[in-house]
Amino acid sequence: MNKAISTRLTFAVAILSLLIFIILWQVIAQQGLLVKNFPGSFKTIGSLIWWVSDPFFDNGPNDLGIGTNLLISLRRVLIGYSLAVLVAVPLGVLMGMSKLAQSSLNPYVQLLKPVSPLAWLPVGLFVFRNSEITGIFVIFITSIWPTLINTAFGVASINPDYLRVSKSLGASKSTTIRRVILPAIMPNILAGMRISMGTAWLVIVAAEMLLGTGIGYFIWNEWNNLSLENIFVAIIIIGFTGFILDQFFGFLQDKFDYSI
Amino acid sequence: MNKKPSKKSSSIENYSHLELFNLGKIFFKEKKFIDFRSKGNRSGFEAIKDINLKIEKNTFVSIIGPSGCGKSTLLNLIAGLQAPTSGKIVIDGQAIKGPGPDRGVIFQNYALMPWLTTIQNIEFALNTVFPAKTKADVKERARKYLRMVGLEKASNKFPKELSGGMKQRVAIARALSINPNMLLMDEPFGALDALTRSYLQDELLSIWRKNKVTVVLITHSIEEALLLSDKIVLMSSGPSAIISEEISVDLERPRDREKIEQDPNYLKIKMRLEKHLLRETRAVEEVT
Repeated sequence: MNKAISTRLTFAVAILSLLIFIILWQVIAQQGLLVKNFPGSFKTIGSLIWWVSDPFFDNGPNDLGIGTNLLISLRRVLIGYSLAVLVAVPLGVLMGMSKLAQSSLNPYVQLLKPVSPLAWLPVGLFVFRNSEITGIFVIFITSIWPTLINTAFGVASINPDYLRVSKSLGASKSTTIRRVILPAIMPNILAGMRISMGTAWLVIVAAEMLLGTGIGYFIWNEWNNLSLENIFVAIIIIGFTGFILDQFFGFLQDKFDYSI
Repeated sequence: MNKKPSKKSSSIENYSHLELFNLGKIFFKEKKFIDFRSKGNRSGFEAIKDINLKIEKNTFVSIIGPSGCGKSTLLNLIAGLQAPTSGKIVIDGQAIKGPGPDRGVIFQNYALMPWLTTIQNIEFALNTVFPAKTKADVKERARKYLRMVGLEKASNKFPKELSGGMKQRVAIARALSINPNMLLMDEPFGALDALTRSYLQDELLSIWRKNKVTVVLITHSIEEALLLSDKIVLMSSGPSAIISEEISVDLERPRDREKIEQDPNYLKIKMRLEKHLLRETRAVEEVT
């Protein structure tokens, strides 16, 4: 089959399936097949247009534009996440290079990694007495593990030839780390950062339901207003933002893929 | 060529360029934190033992032996990448303590950094060895060595864009750029096809003639050793491999790869090497 036709066909199928989904949703909601008063797709799309056309209004903390809330969430994620990367990468390099660091830190990593980051929320509130910092703290804890583990794994499985070249030239430890190890493990670091970002974006919504302001709080607030169509609007926007963030890391990963 | 002030200009040379004394290497198993089975005595794998060898300045020496005989271990020890368990390595009358820019190392898998371009790979070596050199100096010197291996046009290409032979030429340029007086090569042409291999062998010979370096080449190809070397060192099968023989190859240079095969002297040495390798390989295969 011709490739141009094939892409055009794929596009047409995608549009068609979206239309079918919207129509089915509308019909099911209108007929009350699911539950009574379930918002239909037309109403949801109407809300979406309303929220998106004026995204940045501010009528007090319980009535913020969806764009404002989104930016609040993004800010928390970016700060907590960046701090986590700043800690995770050096720590991961250390764990990958030193047996001693590996064996002394790994038990804590293995123990803490499976814990839901939300368990740290009360700890954060108790220590910081501030919901903003607590949110950042929860994201920090969330983001640290995948990047840390991937970095450590990258260092441990680095092609020994690179290290031998560096050693045979008499390179110092710091030169080897900066000029050989870090570039060599860039793909691992980025893979870890991508997973970290994905998880952070999942967790921020849940955390904000308890913290006030942000896109998560928006959902909680609309639940209190019993406005399900606004919740759907938030779901669409959260999904779209997460997709963009993920694509950004996908793009970076392609840039640093040495194998192709 | 610019002068090499780093090299010692020893007028009275009563020592060889490279001397190995009773060299041995045992790889110990890493001890686990809790190990119930082996209490106390650390048993290890003895790769090589009692290696004694003298290599004269500016000669080309090949080390040949059955696979797994510890050839690479020996080269790693000379390069200073691993420390010997016993014995010592003396270069220009001085015992070595680790790796150094007096020895350029070339690996079988080229070992180019994939995130650096061809010229950047060479610049990395230069910057590491000569941190005082200016950027322009480093660039000029890197370019010079790329030109020497005929790859100046590929200077901004990444290793993944190069063929195996081109990659190995970059690796040779990198090793020579730091101006070593010894070149250590670990089966450098093992992964290349026959034609590229012949081409690079000729290239290596002409580089060796021009650059005045001592070459230690690990190989498992008898023809390669015969074509290139002044001396061939035969190793026995491992573990605990030793040097079983040293053979001087006094064939006239330059050697022509077609004509050399008619030389009765060549054939005599070749037969001897084949017999030895066959015997040692049989020893390996029948043990396992």
